[in-house]
Amino acid sequence: MTDQIREQMSALLDGELPSGEVGLLVRRMERDAELRRAFGVYVLAGESLRSPGGVTASPGFAARVAADIDDGAIGMRTDDPVAAPRTPLRWRRPLAAAAVAAGAALAAVLLVRPDADPGVPYAANAAQEAGAAFPALPVGGASPTPAQNQRLSGYLVVHGQYASPIGRRNIWSSALAADPGINRVGYENPEKP
Amino acid sequence: MKPMPNFPPVDGSTEPHEARDGDARPGSGVEQSDLELVRRVQRGERGAFDLLVLRYQHKVVKLVSRLLRDPSEAEDVAQEAFVKAYRALGSFRGDSAFYTWLYRIAVNTARNTMAARQRRPLAYEAELSENEQTVVESRMRHGDTPEATVLSDEIHRTVNSAVEELPEDLRTAIILREIEGLSYEEIAEAMDCPVGTVRSRIFRAREAIDRSLKPLLD
Repeated sequence: MTDQIREQMSALLDGELPSGEVGLLVRRMERDAELRRAFGVYVLAGESLRSPGGVTASPGFAARVAADIDDGAIGMRTDDPVAAPRTPLRWRRPLAAAAVAAGAALAAVLLVRPDADPGVPYAANAAQEAGAAFPALPVGGASPTPAQNQRLSGYLVVHGQYASPIGRRNIWSSALAADPGINRVGYENPEKP
Repeated sequence: MKPMPNFPPVDGSTEPHEARDGDARPGSGVEQSDLELVRRVQRGERGAFDLLVLRYQHKVVKLVSRLLRDPSEAEDVAQEAFVKAYRALGSFRGDSAFYTWLYRIAVNTARNTMAARQRRPLAYEAELSENEQTVVESRMRHGDTPEATVLSDEIHRTVNSAVEELPEDLRTAIILREIEGLSYEEIAEAMDCPVGTVRSRIFRAREAIDRSLKPLLD
Protein backbone atom coordinates (compact mmCIF):
# COMPACT_ATOMS: atom_id res chain seq x y z
CA MET A 1 0.00 0.00 0.00
CA THR A 2 2.76 2.42 0.97
CA ASP A 3 4.70 1.59 -2.19
CA GLN A 4 1.60 2.22 -4.23
CA ILE A 5 1.14 5.61 -2.61
CA ARG A 6 4.80 6.49 -3.05
CA GLU A 7 4.63 5.46 -6.69
CA GLN A 8 1.66 7.77 -7.08
CA MET A 9 3.74 10.50 -5.45
CA SER A 10 6.56 9.90 -7.91
CA ALA A 11 4.09 10.14 -10.80
CA LEU A 12 2.65 13.35 -9.30
CA LEU A 13 6.11 14.88 -9.27
CA ASP A 14 6.43 14.11 -12.98
CA GLY A 15 2.95 15.42 -13.74
CA GLU A 16 1.90 11.94 -14.79
CA LEU A 17 -0.65 11.13 -12.09
CA PRO A 18 -4.25 10.95 -13.34
CA SER A 19 -6.21 13.97 -12.15
CA GLY A 20 -8.70 11.82 -10.26
CA GLU A 21 -5.98 10.45 -8.00
CA VAL A 22 -4.44 13.79 -7.05
CA GLY A 23 -6.94 14.88 -4.40
CA LEU A 24 -6.68 11.81 -2.20
CA LEU A 25 -2.89 11.78 -2.49
CA VAL A 26 -2.59 15.47 -1.55
CA ARG A 27 -4.72 14.88 1.54
CA ARG A 28 -2.63 11.84 2.48
CA MET A 29 0.58 13.81 2.08
CA GLU A 30 -0.83 16.62 4.18
CA ARG A 31 -1.23 14.18 7.07
CA ASP A 32 1.92 12.13 6.52
CA ALA A 33 5.28 13.80 7.20
CA GLU A 34 7.20 10.77 5.91
CA LEU A 35 5.50 11.05 2.52
CA ARG A 36 6.37 14.75 2.35
CA ARG A 37 9.95 13.97 3.30
CA ALA A 38 10.21 11.36 0.55
CA PHE A 39 8.66 13.77 -1.97
CA GLY A 40 11.29 16.33 -0.99
CA VAL A 41 14.05 13.76 -1.53
CA TYR A 42 12.66 12.86 -4.97
CA VAL A 43 12.79 16.55 -5.89
CA LEU A 44 16.29 16.95 -4.45
CA ALA A 45 17.56 13.92 -6.37
CA GLY A 46 16.28 15.38 -9.63
CA GLU A 47 17.80 18.77 -8.93
CA SER A 48 21.10 17.19 -8.00
CA LEU A 49 21.18 15.17 -11.22
CA ARG A 50 20.34 18.17 -13.36
CA SER A 51 22.60 20.78 -11.82
CA PRO A 52 25.59 19.36 -10.02
CA GLY A 53 27.11 21.62 -7.43
CA GLY A 54 24.32 24.17 -7.62
CA VAL A 55 22.78 25.88 -4.64
CA THR A 56 19.86 23.98 -3.19
CA ALA A 57 17.38 24.82 -0.49
CA SER A 58 18.49 23.57 2.88
CA PRO A 59 16.57 20.81 4.65
CA GLY A 60 13.57 22.29 6.39
CA PHE A 61 13.13 25.16 3.94
CA ALA A 62 9.62 24.07 2.96
CA ALA A 63 8.71 23.61 6.63
CA ARG A 64 9.89 27.16 7.34
CA VAL A 65 7.72 28.54 4.55
CA ALA A 66 4.76 26.59 5.89
CA ALA A 67 5.42 27.87 9.41
CA ASP A 68 5.73 31.42 8.09
CA ILE A 69 2.33 31.12 6.44
CA ASP A 70 0.76 29.50 9.49
CA ASP A 71 2.34 31.82 12.07
CA GLY A 72 1.32 34.92 10.21
CA ALA A 73 -2.14 33.51 9.54
CA ILE A 74 -1.58 34.64 5.97
CA GLY A 75 -4.61 34.51 3.76
CA MET A 76 -4.82 34.64 0.01
CA ARG A 77 -5.42 38.02 -1.59
CA THR A 78 -6.82 38.61 -5.01
CA ASP A 79 -4.31 41.21 -6.17
CA ASP A 80 -1.30 40.08 -8.13
CA PRO A 81 2.11 41.23 -6.88
CA VAL A 82 3.54 40.55 -10.32
CA ALA A 83 1.02 42.52 -12.31
CA ALA A 84 0.23 45.19 -9.76
CA PRO A 85 3.16 47.06 -8.28
CA ARG A 86 2.81 48.71 -4.91
CA THR A 87 0.35 51.56 -5.07
CA PRO A 88 0.78 54.63 -2.90
CA LEU A 89 -1.72 54.88 -0.07
CA ARG A 90 -2.93 58.29 -1.25
CA TRP A 91 -5.76 56.87 -3.35
CA ARG A 92 -7.29 55.18 -0.32
CA ARG A 93 -8.14 58.42 1.42
CA PRO A 94 -10.76 59.77 -1.03
CA LEU A 95 -12.13 56.29 -1.51
CA ALA A 96 -12.59 55.83 2.23
CA ALA A 97 -14.16 59.27 2.48
CA ALA A 98 -16.60 58.41 -0.32
CA ALA A 99 -17.46 55.12 1.41
CA VAL A 100 -18.14 56.90 4.71
CA ALA A 101 -20.24 59.54 2.93
CA ALA A 102 -22.26 56.86 1.15
CA GLY A 103 -22.80 55.00 4.42
CA ALA A 104 -23.90 58.14 6.19
CA ALA A 105 -26.27 59.01 3.35
CA LEU A 106 -27.86 55.58 3.46
CA ALA A 107 -28.26 55.72 7.24
CA ALA A 108 -29.81 59.16 6.97
CA VAL A 109 -32.25 57.99 4.30
CA LEU A 110 -33.27 55.01 6.39
CA LEU A 111 -33.83 57.16 9.44
CA VAL A 112 -35.54 60.15 7.84
CA ARG A 113 -38.57 58.73 6.05
CA PRO A 114 -41.66 60.94 6.02
CA ASP A 115 -44.04 58.01 5.53
CA ALA A 116 -42.24 55.48 7.69
CA ASP A 117 -44.34 53.32 9.97
CA PRO A 118 -42.98 53.26 13.52
CA GLY A 119 -43.98 49.64 13.76
CA VAL A 120 -41.75 48.54 10.90
CA PRO A 121 -38.96 46.50 12.49
CA TYR A 122 -36.11 47.55 10.20
CA ALA A 123 -36.70 51.21 11.02
CA ALA A 124 -36.59 50.48 14.72
CA ASN A 125 -33.47 48.38 14.38
CA ALA A 126 -31.79 51.00 12.27
CA ALA A 127 -32.68 53.61 14.80
CA GLN A 128 -31.20 51.55 17.61
CA GLU A 129 -28.02 50.79 15.69
CA ALA A 130 -27.54 54.30 14.44
CA GLY A 131 -28.76 56.01 17.57
CA ALA A 132 -25.32 56.33 19.06
CA ALA A 133 -23.78 57.61 15.86
CA PHE A 134 -26.54 60.08 15.02
CA PRO A 135 -28.11 61.07 18.33
CA ALA A 136 -29.42 64.36 16.98
CA LEU A 137 -31.44 62.82 14.16
CA PRO A 138 -35.09 62.04 14.76
CA VAL A 139 -35.82 58.34 14.99
CA GLY A 140 -38.99 56.37 14.71
CA GLY A 141 -41.87 57.49 12.56
CA ALA A 142 -41.81 61.24 13.08
CA SER A 143 -41.97 63.18 9.81
CA PRO A 144 -39.01 65.42 9.12
CA THR A 145 -39.48 69.09 9.15
CA PRO A 146 -39.14 71.02 5.85
CA ALA A 147 -35.76 72.26 7.11
CA GLN A 148 -34.58 68.70 7.64
CA ASN A 149 -35.80 67.71 4.19
CA GLN A 150 -33.96 70.62 2.71
CA ARG A 151 -30.77 69.70 4.55
CA LEU A 152 -30.99 66.07 3.45
CA SER A 153 -31.57 67.03 -0.15
CA GLY A 154 -28.64 69.35 -0.05
CA TYR A 155 -26.50 66.59 1.33
CA LEU A 156 -27.56 64.18 -1.40
CA VAL A 157 -26.77 66.73 -4.08
CA VAL A 158 -23.35 67.42 -2.64
CA HIS A 159 -22.69 63.73 -2.27
CA GLY A 160 -23.74 63.15 -5.87
CA GLN A 161 -21.32 65.76 -7.10
CA TYR A 162 -18.37 64.10 -5.36
CA ALA A 163 -19.30 60.45 -5.91
CA SER A 164 -17.79 58.66 -8.92
CA PRO A 165 -19.96 58.38 -12.05
CA ILE A 166 -20.13 54.64 -11.49
CA GLY A 167 -21.31 55.08 -7.94
CA ARG A 168 -24.08 57.42 -8.99
CA ARG A 169 -25.69 54.67 -11.01
CA ASN A 170 -25.40 51.85 -8.55
CA ILE A 171 -28.05 49.78 -6.84
CA TRP A 172 -28.47 52.26 -4.01
CA SER A 173 -29.13 55.08 -6.46
CA SER A 174 -31.93 53.01 -7.97
CA ALA A 175 -33.37 52.19 -4.57
CA LEU A 176 -33.30 55.81 -3.51
CA ALA A 177 -34.85 56.95 -6.76
CA ALA A 178 -37.68 54.46 -6.37
CA ASP A 179 -38.39 55.45 -2.77
CA PRO A 180 -41.41 57.76 -2.65
CA GLY A 181 -40.29 58.92 0.77
CA ILE A 182 -37.35 60.80 -0.68
CA ASN A 183 -38.17 64.39 -1.39
CA ARG A 184 -35.71 65.56 -4.01
CA VAL A 185 -36.03 69.22 -3.31
CA GLY A 186 -33.66 71.43 -5.18
CA TYR A 187 -32.03 68.66 -7.17
CA GLU A 188 -33.54 69.24 -10.60
CA ASN A 189 -33.38 72.53 -12.40
CA PRO A 190 -36.77 74.15 -11.72
CA GLU A 191 -36.71 75.89 -15.10
CA LYS A 192 -36.70 72.62 -17.02
CA PRO A 193 -40.05 70.92 -17.69
CA MET B 1 19.52 56.64 -7.81
CA LYS B 2 21.86 53.85 -8.79
CA PRO B 3 20.90 51.75 -11.81
CA MET B 4 19.79 48.22 -11.09
CA PRO B 5 22.43 45.62 -11.90
CA ASN B 6 21.96 43.44 -14.93
CA PHE B 7 20.41 40.18 -13.92
CA PRO B 8 21.45 36.91 -15.51
CA PRO B 9 18.75 35.10 -17.50
CA VAL B 10 15.76 34.37 -15.33
CA ASP B 11 15.51 30.76 -16.39
CA GLY B 12 19.05 30.08 -15.31
CA SER B 13 19.97 29.02 -18.82
CA THR B 14 23.64 29.77 -18.29
CA GLU B 15 24.04 26.06 -17.84
CA PRO B 16 23.12 24.21 -21.02
CA HIS B 17 21.74 21.13 -19.32
CA GLU B 18 19.16 23.21 -17.48
CA ALA B 19 17.62 24.37 -20.73
CA ARG B 20 16.36 20.84 -21.27
CA ASP B 21 15.35 20.47 -17.69
CA GLY B 22 11.93 19.41 -18.90
CA ASP B 23 10.33 19.72 -15.49
CA ALA B 24 7.72 22.14 -16.60
CA ARG B 25 7.72 22.45 -20.36
CA PRO B 26 4.80 24.42 -21.78
CA GLY B 27 1.74 22.24 -21.82
CA SER B 28 3.62 19.43 -20.10
CA GLY B 29 2.16 17.14 -17.49
CA VAL B 30 4.04 18.99 -14.78
CA GLU B 31 2.42 22.25 -15.83
CA GLN B 32 -1.00 20.62 -15.69
CA SER B 33 -0.15 19.05 -12.37
CA ASP B 34 0.91 22.45 -11.02
CA LEU B 35 -2.35 23.95 -12.15
CA GLU B 36 -4.27 21.17 -10.47
CA LEU B 37 -2.41 21.85 -7.21
CA VAL B 38 -2.98 25.60 -7.56
CA ARG B 39 -6.72 25.07 -7.99
CA ARG B 40 -6.72 22.97 -4.86
CA VAL B 41 -4.93 25.69 -2.89
CA GLN B 42 -7.46 28.20 -4.19
CA ARG B 43 -10.24 25.95 -2.91
CA GLY B 44 -8.63 25.95 0.53
CA GLU B 45 -6.41 22.86 0.44
CA ARG B 46 -3.39 24.37 2.13
CA GLY B 47 -1.40 21.10 1.86
CA ALA B 48 -1.30 21.42 -1.93
CA PHE B 49 0.79 24.58 -1.57
CA ASP B 50 3.33 22.68 0.54
CA LEU B 51 3.82 20.35 -2.43
CA LEU B 52 4.39 23.28 -4.77
CA VAL B 53 7.00 24.63 -2.34
CA LEU B 54 8.68 21.24 -2.18
CA ARG B 55 8.68 21.01 -5.97
CA TYR B 56 10.13 24.48 -6.63
CA GLN B 57 12.17 25.26 -3.52
CA HIS B 58 15.53 24.36 -5.04
CA LYS B 59 14.84 26.12 -8.32
CA VAL B 60 13.72 29.32 -6.61
CA VAL B 61 16.60 29.33 -4.12
CA LYS B 62 19.02 28.77 -7.00
CA LEU B 63 17.45 31.52 -9.10
CA VAL B 64 17.46 34.02 -6.24
CA SER B 65 21.01 33.08 -5.34
CA ARG B 66 22.14 33.90 -8.89
CA LEU B 67 20.24 37.17 -8.94
CA LEU B 68 21.59 38.35 -5.60
CA ARG B 69 25.07 36.99 -6.23
CA ASP B 70 25.00 36.23 -2.52
CA PRO B 71 23.88 32.74 -1.53
CA SER B 72 23.72 33.72 2.13
CA GLU B 73 20.61 35.83 1.52
CA ALA B 74 19.01 33.55 -1.02
CA GLU B 75 16.93 31.41 1.32
CA ASP B 76 15.39 34.34 3.16
CA VAL B 77 14.46 36.03 -0.09
CA ALA B 78 13.16 32.78 -1.59
CA GLN B 79 11.09 32.22 1.54
CA GLU B 80 9.63 35.70 1.21
CA ALA B 81 8.85 35.01 -2.45
CA PHE B 82 6.95 31.83 -1.60
CA VAL B 83 4.93 33.60 1.08
CA LYS B 84 4.10 36.38 -1.39
CA ALA B 85 3.10 33.74 -3.94
CA TYR B 86 0.79 32.08 -1.42
CA ARG B 87 -0.83 35.38 -0.56
CA ALA B 88 -1.36 36.20 -4.22
CA LEU B 89 -2.43 32.77 -5.37
CA GLY B 90 -6.06 33.84 -5.33
CA SER B 91 -5.31 36.07 -8.31
CA PHE B 92 -3.54 33.37 -10.33
CA ARG B 93 -5.75 32.55 -13.29
CA GLY B 94 -3.51 30.09 -15.08
CA ASP B 95 -2.84 32.37 -18.06
CA SER B 96 0.83 31.51 -17.69
CA ALA B 97 2.50 28.48 -16.17
CA PHE B 98 2.62 28.51 -12.39
CA TYR B 99 6.42 28.30 -12.34
CA THR B 100 6.69 31.32 -14.68
CA TRP B 101 4.44 33.30 -12.36
CA LEU B 102 6.37 32.10 -9.32
CA TYR B 103 9.71 32.99 -10.93
CA ARG B 104 8.46 36.50 -11.67
CA ILE B 105 7.57 36.95 -8.01
CA ALA B 106 10.99 35.64 -7.02
CA VAL B 107 12.72 38.01 -9.46
CA ASN B 108 10.73 40.99 -8.16
CA THR B 109 11.47 40.04 -4.56
CA ALA B 110 15.17 39.74 -5.37
CA ARG B 111 15.09 43.14 -7.11
CA ASN B 112 13.50 44.72 -4.04
CA THR B 113 16.20 43.17 -1.88
CA MET B 114 18.91 44.50 -4.21
CA ALA B 115 17.38 47.95 -4.11
CA ALA B 116 17.17 47.87 -0.32
CA ARG B 117 20.76 46.70 -0.15
CA GLN B 118 21.89 49.67 -2.26
CA ARG B 119 20.10 52.04 0.09
CA ARG B 120 21.59 50.39 3.17
CA PRO B 121 24.73 52.13 4.52
CA LEU B 122 27.81 49.98 4.92
CA ALA B 123 28.69 49.10 8.50
CA TYR B 124 32.32 49.03 9.48
CA GLU B 125 31.89 48.48 13.17
CA ALA B 126 33.85 45.59 14.55
CA GLU B 127 31.00 44.59 16.79
CA LEU B 128 27.78 43.35 15.29
CA SER B 129 24.60 45.19 16.13
CA GLU B 130 21.73 43.21 17.56
CA ASN B 131 20.03 43.18 14.17
CA GLU B 132 23.14 41.99 12.36
CA GLN B 133 23.65 39.31 14.95
CA THR B 134 20.12 38.11 14.25
CA VAL B 135 20.84 37.99 10.51
CA VAL B 136 24.02 36.01 11.05
CA GLU B 137 22.23 33.60 13.36
CA SER B 138 19.46 33.25 10.82
CA ARG B 139 21.96 32.39 8.10
CA MET B 140 23.66 29.86 10.30
CA ARG B 141 20.31 28.34 11.16
CA HIS B 142 19.32 28.19 7.49
CA GLY B 143 22.36 26.22 6.60
CA ASP B 144 24.48 28.79 4.74
CA THR B 145 27.60 27.45 6.32
CA PRO B 146 30.66 25.69 4.95
CA GLU B 147 29.17 22.49 6.38
CA ALA B 148 26.05 23.04 4.26
CA THR B 149 28.16 23.45 1.13
CA VAL B 150 29.94 20.22 1.94
CA LEU B 151 26.56 18.56 2.48
CA SER B 152 25.37 19.79 -0.92
CA ASP B 153 28.41 18.28 -2.61
CA GLU B 154 27.97 15.10 -0.64
CA ILE B 155 24.33 14.88 -1.71
CA HIS B 156 25.36 15.26 -5.33
CA ARG B 157 28.00 12.53 -5.03
CA THR B 158 25.58 10.19 -3.26
CA VAL B 159 22.84 10.69 -5.83
CA ASN B 160 25.21 10.07 -8.72
CA SER B 161 26.67 7.06 -7.03
CA ALA B 162 23.19 5.66 -6.36
CA VAL B 163 22.22 6.18 -10.00
CA GLU B 164 25.41 4.45 -11.17
CA GLU B 165 24.55 1.44 -9.07
CA LEU B 166 21.01 1.12 -10.42
CA PRO B 167 20.12 -1.71 -12.80
CA GLU B 168 20.32 -0.48 -16.36
CA ASP B 169 16.55 -0.29 -16.97
CA LEU B 170 16.00 1.85 -13.86
CA ARG B 171 19.03 4.02 -14.60
CA THR B 172 17.92 4.67 -18.18
CA ALA B 173 14.38 5.52 -17.08
CA ILE B 174 15.44 7.99 -14.37
CA ILE B 175 18.03 9.68 -16.61
CA LEU B 176 15.56 10.07 -19.48
CA ARG B 177 13.08 11.57 -17.07
CA GLU B 178 15.23 13.78 -14.84
CA ILE B 179 18.00 14.86 -17.17
CA GLU B 180 16.39 14.67 -20.60
CA GLY B 181 12.96 15.68 -19.34
CA LEU B 182 11.00 13.16 -21.41
CA SER B 183 7.42 12.30 -20.59
CA TYR B 184 6.49 8.78 -19.52
CA GLU B 185 5.05 8.15 -22.95
CA GLU B 186 8.23 9.28 -24.67
CA ILE B 187 10.32 7.13 -22.33
CA ALA B 188 8.05 4.17 -22.98
CA GLU B 189 8.60 4.64 -26.70
CA ALA B 190 12.35 4.98 -26.27
CA MET B 191 12.61 1.94 -24.02
CA ASP B 192 9.99 -0.05 -25.87
CA CYS B 193 7.91 -0.87 -22.81
CA PRO B 194 4.48 0.06 -21.40
CA VAL B 195 3.96 3.43 -19.71
CA GLY B 196 3.10 1.63 -16.45
CA THR B 197 6.52 0.00 -16.48
CA VAL B 198 8.19 3.36 -16.95
CA ARG B 199 6.28 4.75 -14.00
CA SER B 200 7.33 1.80 -11.85
CA ARG B 201 10.99 1.99 -12.94
CA ILE B 202 11.25 5.68 -12.19
CA PHE B 203 9.65 5.14 -8.80
CA ARG B 204 12.03 2.30 -7.93
CA ALA B 205 15.01 4.37 -9.01
CA ARG B 206 13.88 7.20 -6.75
CA GLU B 207 13.37 4.83 -3.86
CA ALA B 208 16.93 3.55 -4.28
CA ILE B 209 18.27 7.10 -4.29
CA ASP B 210 16.17 7.88 -1.20
CA ARG B 211 17.65 4.91 0.64
CA SER B 212 21.16 6.12 -0.22
CA LEU B 213 20.46 9.67 0.86
CA LYS B 214 18.61 8.89 4.06
CA PRO B 215 21.68 8.43 6.31
CA LEU B 216 23.04 11.70 4.97
CA LEU B 217 19.89 13.74 5.51
CA ASP B 218 18.71 12.27 8.82
